[in-house]
Amino acid sequence: MNLESPNPVTDAETALRRIAELPAPQGLEDRVHKRIQATRTAAQMPRPGRVLPWPVSGGSGNAWLRSAAAAAIAFVVAGGGWGVYSRTQPGEPTHTIPAPQISAPQISAPGSFGSAGAIRTPQTLHRPVLTHPAGVQDAPAAAAKKSASKKQAQKQAARQAARQAAAQASAPDSH
Amino acid sequence: MEIPDSAAVDQARNHADEAALAALVDQYAGALYRVAFSVLRNPADAEDAVQEAFLRVLRHRDTLGEVRDHRVWLIRIVWNIVLDRKRRAKTRPETDDVEELARVLPSAGLSAEQVAAAAQHHAHVLACVDQLPAKEREVLQLSAFEELSSVEIAAVLGITESSVRSRLFRARNLMAGLLNHARSLR
Repeated sequence: MNLESPNPVTDAETALRRIAELPAPQGLEDRVHKRIQATRTAAQMPRPGRVLPWPVSGGSGNAWLRSAAAAAIAFVVAGGGWGVYSRTQPGEPTHTIPAPQISAPQISAPGSFGSAGAIRTPQTLHRPVLTHPAGVQDAPAAAAKKSASKKQAQKQAARQAARQAAAQASAPDSH
Repeated sequence: MEIPDSAAVDQARNHADEAALAALVDQYAGALYRVAFSVLRNPADAEDAVQEAFLRVLRHRDTLGEVRDHRVWLIRIVWNIVLDRKRRAKTRPETDDVEELARVLPSAGLSAEQVAAAAQHHAHVLACVDQLPAKEREVLQLSAFEELSSVEIAAVLGITESSVRSRLFRARNLMAGLLNHARSLR
Protein backbone atom coordinates (compact mmCIF):
# COMPACT_ATOMS: atom_id res chain seq x y z
CA MET A 1 0.00 0.00 0.00
CA ASN A 2 1.57 3.24 -1.16
CA LEU A 3 0.60 6.17 1.06
CA GLU A 4 3.05 8.66 -0.40
CA SER A 5 1.76 11.27 -2.82
CA PRO A 6 3.95 12.83 -5.52
CA ASN A 7 3.86 16.17 -3.68
CA PRO A 8 5.52 15.81 -0.26
CA VAL A 9 3.91 18.98 1.09
CA THR A 10 0.47 17.61 0.33
CA ASP A 11 1.56 14.46 2.08
CA ALA A 12 2.51 16.37 5.22
CA GLU A 13 -0.61 18.46 5.21
CA THR A 14 -2.77 15.40 4.75
CA ALA A 15 -1.14 13.74 7.75
CA LEU A 16 -1.59 16.82 9.89
CA ARG A 17 -5.18 17.20 8.77
CA ARG A 18 -6.01 13.60 9.60
CA ILE A 19 -4.68 14.13 13.09
CA ALA A 20 -6.53 17.42 13.38
CA GLU A 21 -9.77 15.71 12.46
CA LEU A 22 -9.50 12.98 15.07
CA PRO A 23 -12.64 12.83 17.16
CA ALA A 24 -12.48 13.72 20.82
CA PRO A 25 -12.82 10.78 23.21
CA GLN A 26 -16.25 9.83 24.50
CA GLY A 27 -17.33 11.62 27.68
CA LEU A 28 -14.69 14.33 27.48
CA GLU A 29 -17.19 17.08 28.22
CA ASP A 30 -18.58 15.19 31.24
CA ARG A 31 -15.12 14.71 32.69
CA VAL A 32 -14.31 18.40 32.21
CA HIS A 33 -17.62 19.36 33.88
CA LYS A 34 -16.84 17.09 36.82
CA ARG A 35 -13.37 18.50 37.27
CA ILE A 36 -14.65 22.06 37.15
CA GLN A 37 -17.31 21.18 39.70
CA ALA A 38 -14.77 19.51 41.97
CA THR A 39 -12.46 22.52 41.76
CA ARG A 40 -15.33 24.89 42.46
CA THR A 41 -16.46 22.86 45.47
CA ALA A 42 -12.91 22.65 46.82
CA ALA A 43 -12.55 26.41 46.50
CA GLN A 44 -15.82 27.05 48.36
CA MET A 45 -15.28 24.54 51.16
CA PRO A 46 -13.36 25.85 54.19
CA ARG A 47 -10.19 23.96 54.77
CA PRO A 48 -10.59 21.75 57.85
CA GLY A 49 -8.13 22.41 60.65
CA ARG A 50 -5.72 19.67 61.50
CA VAL A 51 -5.56 18.52 65.10
CA LEU A 52 -2.80 16.27 66.23
CA PRO A 53 -4.30 13.13 67.79
CA TRP A 54 -3.59 12.64 71.44
CA PRO A 55 -1.72 9.37 71.87
CA VAL A 56 -4.34 7.57 73.90
CA SER A 57 -3.09 4.14 73.15
CA GLY A 58 0.29 3.17 74.47
CA GLY A 59 1.93 0.68 76.70
CA SER A 60 1.79 1.08 80.46
CA GLY A 61 5.58 0.97 80.54
CA ASN A 62 5.94 4.62 79.57
CA ALA A 63 3.12 5.88 81.84
CA TRP A 64 5.56 6.77 84.63
CA LEU A 65 7.72 8.60 82.11
CA ARG A 66 4.75 10.66 80.99
CA SER A 67 3.83 11.44 84.62
CA ALA A 68 7.40 12.45 85.39
CA ALA A 69 7.50 14.72 82.38
CA ALA A 70 4.20 16.33 83.40
CA ALA A 71 5.46 16.83 86.95
CA ALA A 72 8.70 18.37 85.70
CA ILE A 73 6.79 20.80 83.48
CA ALA A 74 4.48 21.73 86.39
CA PHE A 75 7.49 22.24 88.67
CA VAL A 76 9.28 24.48 86.18
CA VAL A 77 6.17 26.59 85.58
CA ALA A 78 5.38 26.92 89.31
CA GLY A 79 9.02 27.71 90.17
CA GLY A 80 9.20 30.39 87.52
CA GLY A 81 6.00 31.97 88.80
CA TRP A 82 7.19 31.93 92.42
CA GLY A 83 10.52 33.46 91.39
CA VAL A 84 8.79 36.36 89.72
CA TYR A 85 6.39 36.82 92.66
CA SER A 86 9.13 36.76 95.30
CA ARG A 87 11.20 39.41 93.50
CA THR A 88 8.38 41.95 93.20
CA GLN A 89 6.56 42.34 96.51
CA PRO A 90 3.65 44.81 96.60
CA GLY A 91 4.28 47.95 98.66
CA GLU A 92 8.02 47.70 98.40
CA PRO A 93 9.69 51.15 98.39
CA THR A 94 11.04 52.14 95.07
CA HIS A 95 14.74 52.28 94.75
CA THR A 96 16.33 55.53 93.73
CA ILE A 97 18.99 55.20 91.19
CA PRO A 98 21.72 57.76 91.89
CA ALA A 99 23.09 59.83 89.07
CA PRO A 100 26.33 58.50 87.74
CA GLN A 101 29.36 60.24 89.14
CA ILE A 102 31.50 61.99 86.64
CA SER A 103 34.78 60.22 86.77
CA ALA A 104 38.00 62.00 86.97
CA PRO A 105 39.78 62.63 83.71
CA GLN A 106 41.52 59.55 82.66
CA ILE A 107 45.19 59.66 82.41
CA SER A 108 46.24 58.37 79.12
CA ALA A 109 48.83 55.74 78.86
CA PRO A 110 52.24 56.97 77.94
CA GLY A 111 52.68 57.17 74.21
CA SER A 112 48.99 57.51 73.38
CA PHE A 113 46.51 60.35 72.96
CA GLY A 114 44.44 61.43 75.93
CA SER A 115 41.07 63.14 76.28
CA ALA A 116 42.58 66.02 78.26
CA GLY A 117 39.64 65.86 80.64
CA ALA A 118 37.08 66.74 77.95
CA ILE A 119 33.60 65.37 78.48
CA ARG A 120 31.43 64.85 75.48
CA THR A 121 28.05 66.51 75.66
CA PRO A 122 25.37 65.15 73.34
CA GLN A 123 24.17 67.77 70.87
CA THR A 124 20.56 67.01 71.60
CA LEU A 125 20.91 68.45 75.10
CA HIS A 126 21.71 72.02 76.10
CA ARG A 127 23.73 70.86 79.02
CA PRO A 128 24.15 67.70 81.02
CA VAL A 129 21.22 67.24 83.33
CA LEU A 130 22.24 65.69 86.60
CA THR A 131 19.77 64.39 89.09
CA HIS A 132 20.91 64.53 92.72
CA PRO A 133 20.62 61.47 94.85
CA ALA A 134 17.85 61.48 97.44
CA GLY A 135 18.77 62.97 100.89
CA VAL A 136 21.42 65.34 99.58
CA GLN A 137 20.27 68.98 99.86
CA ASP A 138 21.41 71.88 97.82
CA ALA A 139 24.18 73.96 99.42
CA PRO A 140 22.58 77.41 98.77
CA ALA A 141 19.27 76.25 100.19
CA ALA A 142 20.98 75.01 103.33
CA ALA A 143 22.88 78.29 103.70
CA ALA A 144 19.70 80.34 103.29
CA LYS A 145 17.96 78.21 105.87
CA LYS A 146 20.90 78.65 108.24
CA SER A 147 20.93 82.45 107.83
CA ALA A 148 17.16 82.60 108.37
CA SER A 149 17.41 80.72 111.65
CA LYS A 150 20.31 82.94 112.69
CA LYS A 151 18.23 86.08 112.02
CA GLN A 152 15.35 84.63 113.98
CA ALA A 153 17.67 83.94 116.94
CA GLN A 154 19.02 87.47 116.77
CA LYS A 155 15.49 88.88 116.76
CA GLN A 156 14.54 86.72 119.69
CA ALA A 157 17.62 87.87 121.61
CA ALA A 158 16.83 91.52 120.89
CA ARG A 159 13.28 91.03 122.08
CA GLN A 160 14.48 89.40 125.27
CA ALA A 161 16.97 92.23 125.91
CA ALA A 162 14.20 94.78 125.44
CA ARG A 163 12.01 92.96 127.89
CA GLN A 164 14.80 92.86 130.48
CA ALA A 165 15.48 96.57 130.04
CA ALA A 166 11.81 97.33 130.52
CA ALA A 167 11.74 95.19 133.63
CA GLN A 168 14.79 96.98 135.11
CA ALA A 169 13.23 100.34 134.39
CA SER A 170 10.04 99.47 136.16
CA ALA A 171 11.82 97.86 139.19
CA PRO A 172 12.77 101.15 141.13
CA ASP A 173 9.18 102.29 140.84
CA SER A 174 7.94 99.14 142.52
CA HIS A 175 10.58 99.38 145.35
CA MET B 1 -38.53 49.91 44.37
CA GLU B 2 -37.09 46.90 46.12
CA ILE B 3 -33.31 46.79 46.29
CA PRO B 4 -32.05 43.27 45.57
CA ASP B 5 -29.97 41.58 48.22
CA SER B 6 -26.25 41.57 47.41
CA ALA B 7 -25.96 37.85 48.27
CA ALA B 8 -28.78 37.08 45.85
CA VAL B 9 -27.07 39.16 43.15
CA ASP B 10 -23.81 37.27 43.73
CA GLN B 11 -25.61 33.96 43.58
CA ALA B 12 -27.35 34.91 40.33
CA ARG B 13 -24.01 36.01 38.87
CA ASN B 14 -22.37 32.74 39.91
CA HIS B 15 -25.17 30.77 38.27
CA ALA B 16 -24.75 32.82 35.09
CA ASP B 17 -20.97 32.21 35.10
CA GLU B 18 -21.52 28.52 35.71
CA ALA B 19 -23.97 28.27 32.83
CA ALA B 20 -21.67 30.22 30.48
CA LEU B 21 -18.71 28.01 31.35
CA ALA B 22 -20.75 24.83 30.91
CA ALA B 23 -21.84 26.05 27.49
CA LEU B 24 -18.22 26.72 26.51
CA VAL B 25 -17.21 23.22 27.60
CA ASP B 26 -20.00 21.62 25.59
CA GLN B 27 -19.22 23.71 22.53
CA TYR B 28 -15.43 23.76 22.37
CA ALA B 29 -14.00 20.86 24.40
CA GLY B 30 -13.69 18.68 21.28
CA ALA B 31 -11.90 21.35 19.23
CA LEU B 32 -9.52 22.09 22.08
CA TYR B 33 -8.79 18.39 22.46
CA ARG B 34 -7.84 18.09 18.78
CA VAL B 35 -5.56 21.12 19.02
CA ALA B 36 -3.91 19.68 22.12
CA PHE B 37 -3.55 16.22 20.59
CA SER B 38 -1.95 17.60 17.40
CA VAL B 39 0.93 18.89 19.52
CA LEU B 40 1.14 16.40 22.39
CA ARG B 41 0.08 13.27 20.45
CA ASN B 42 -1.09 11.54 23.60
CA PRO B 43 -4.80 11.27 24.43
CA ALA B 44 -4.35 11.47 28.22
CA ASP B 45 -2.05 14.49 28.01
CA ALA B 46 -4.36 16.19 25.53
CA GLU B 47 -7.38 15.69 27.78
CA ASP B 48 -5.46 16.96 30.77
CA ALA B 49 -4.51 20.07 28.81
CA VAL B 50 -8.15 20.68 27.91
CA GLN B 51 -9.19 20.37 31.54
CA GLU B 52 -6.44 22.74 32.61
CA ALA B 53 -7.56 25.23 29.97
CA PHE B 54 -11.10 25.23 31.35
CA LEU B 55 -9.83 25.54 34.91
CA ARG B 56 -7.96 28.65 33.82
CA VAL B 57 -11.19 29.95 32.33
CA LEU B 58 -12.90 29.22 35.66
CA ARG B 59 -10.26 31.27 37.46
CA HIS B 60 -10.72 34.21 35.07
CA ARG B 61 -14.48 33.85 34.57
CA ASP B 62 -14.97 37.51 35.46
CA THR B 63 -13.39 38.45 32.14
CA LEU B 64 -15.61 36.16 30.08
CA GLY B 65 -17.87 39.03 29.15
CA GLU B 66 -14.98 41.02 27.67
CA VAL B 67 -13.92 38.24 25.28
CA ARG B 68 -15.05 38.83 21.69
CA ASP B 69 -14.28 35.45 20.14
CA HIS B 70 -14.47 32.68 22.71
CA ARG B 71 -13.27 29.99 20.30
CA VAL B 72 -10.02 31.76 19.40
CA TRP B 73 -9.51 32.79 23.02
CA LEU B 74 -9.89 29.19 24.24
CA ILE B 75 -7.64 27.81 21.49
CA ARG B 76 -5.01 30.37 22.46
CA ILE B 77 -5.21 29.24 26.11
CA VAL B 78 -4.88 25.56 25.29
CA TRP B 79 -2.18 26.31 22.72
CA ASN B 80 -0.05 28.02 25.37
CA ILE B 81 -0.62 25.13 27.77
CA VAL B 82 0.41 22.45 25.27
CA LEU B 83 3.45 24.39 24.09
CA ASP B 84 4.54 24.78 27.68
CA ARG B 85 4.10 21.07 28.32
CA LYS B 86 5.85 20.15 25.10
CA ARG B 87 8.79 22.38 26.05
CA ARG B 88 9.09 20.70 29.43
CA ALA B 89 8.62 17.15 28.17
CA LYS B 90 11.33 15.29 26.35
CA THR B 91 10.92 14.74 22.62
CA ARG B 92 8.67 11.77 21.95
CA PRO B 93 10.36 8.94 20.08
CA GLU B 94 8.83 8.11 16.70
CA THR B 95 7.92 4.57 17.83
CA ASP B 96 5.60 6.04 20.46
CA ASP B 97 3.87 8.09 17.79
CA VAL B 98 3.45 5.04 15.55
CA GLU B 99 1.77 3.04 18.32
CA GLU B 100 -0.45 5.92 19.37
CA LEU B 101 -1.47 6.75 15.81
CA ALA B 102 -2.21 3.10 15.02
CA ARG B 103 -4.54 3.14 17.99
CA VAL B 104 -6.37 6.39 17.30
CA LEU B 105 -6.43 6.72 13.52
CA PRO B 106 -9.69 5.61 11.90
CA SER B 107 -9.25 2.07 10.64
CA ALA B 108 -12.62 1.28 9.11
CA GLY B 109 -12.23 -0.94 6.05
CA LEU B 110 -8.46 -1.30 6.52
CA SER B 111 -6.53 -4.40 7.41
CA ALA B 112 -4.24 -4.45 10.42
CA GLU B 113 -1.26 -4.26 8.08
CA GLN B 114 -2.64 -1.20 6.31
CA VAL B 115 -3.36 0.51 9.61
CA ALA B 116 0.18 -0.14 10.77
CA ALA B 117 1.63 1.18 7.48
CA ALA B 118 -0.52 4.32 7.65
CA ALA B 119 0.48 4.92 11.25
CA GLN B 120 4.15 4.53 10.36
CA HIS B 121 3.84 6.91 7.45
CA HIS B 122 2.07 9.56 9.55
CA ALA B 123 4.58 9.19 12.33
CA HIS B 124 7.38 9.73 9.86
CA VAL B 125 5.73 12.88 8.52
CA LEU B 126 5.18 14.15 12.06
CA ALA B 127 8.84 13.52 12.86
CA CYS B 128 9.72 15.76 9.90
CA VAL B 129 7.27 18.40 11.18
CA ASP B 130 9.05 18.30 14.52
CA GLN B 131 12.30 19.18 12.78
CA LEU B 132 10.91 22.49 11.53
CA PRO B 133 11.74 25.71 13.37
CA ALA B 134 9.20 26.48 16.07
CA LYS B 135 7.60 29.47 14.33
CA GLU B 136 7.04 27.63 11.06
CA ARG B 137 5.95 24.44 12.79
CA GLU B 138 3.29 26.20 14.86
CA VAL B 139 1.74 27.87 11.84
CA LEU B 140 1.74 24.60 9.87
CA GLN B 141 0.12 22.69 12.73
CA LEU B 142 -2.60 25.30 13.21
CA SER B 143 -3.25 25.56 9.48
CA ALA B 144 -4.24 21.89 9.49
CA PHE B 145 -7.38 22.90 11.41
CA GLU B 146 -9.78 23.82 8.68
CA GLU B 147 -12.03 25.68 11.06
CA LEU B 148 -9.24 28.20 11.71
CA SER B 149 -8.75 30.99 9.18
CA SER B 150 -5.41 32.74 8.75
CA VAL B 151 -6.81 35.71 10.73
CA GLU B 152 -7.70 33.39 13.60
CA ILE B 153 -4.31 31.67 13.46
CA ALA B 154 -2.74 35.13 13.67
CA ALA B 155 -4.91 35.90 16.71
CA VAL B 156 -3.94 32.62 18.41
CA LEU B 157 -0.22 33.18 17.82
CA GLY B 158 -0.35 36.92 18.46
CA ILE B 159 1.15 37.87 15.09
CA THR B 160 -0.10 39.57 11.93
CA GLU B 161 -1.90 37.77 9.15
CA SER B 162 0.91 38.51 6.67
CA SER B 163 3.38 36.87 9.08
CA VAL B 164 1.15 33.79 9.13
CA ARG B 165 1.22 33.60 5.34
CA SER B 166 4.98 34.07 5.06
CA ARG B 167 5.67 31.53 7.82
CA LEU B 168 3.34 29.03 6.17
CA PHE B 169 5.12 29.50 2.87
CA ARG B 170 8.51 28.89 4.50
CA ALA B 171 7.15 25.89 6.41
CA ARG B 172 5.88 24.24 3.21
CA ASN B 173 9.21 24.75 1.48
CA LEU B 174 11.13 23.33 4.43
CA MET B 175 8.76 20.36 4.67
CA ALA B 176 9.19 19.62 0.97
CA GLY B 177 12.96 19.63 1.41
CA LEU B 178 12.84 17.38 4.48
CA LEU B 179 10.47 14.81 2.95
CA ASN B 180 12.30 14.73 -0.39
CA HIS B 181 15.56 14.16 1.44
CA ALA B 182 13.97 11.33 3.44
CA ARG B 183 12.60 9.73 0.26
CA SER B 184 15.94 9.93 -1.51
CA LEU B 185 17.60 8.10 1.40
CA ARG B 186 15.16 5.15 1.10
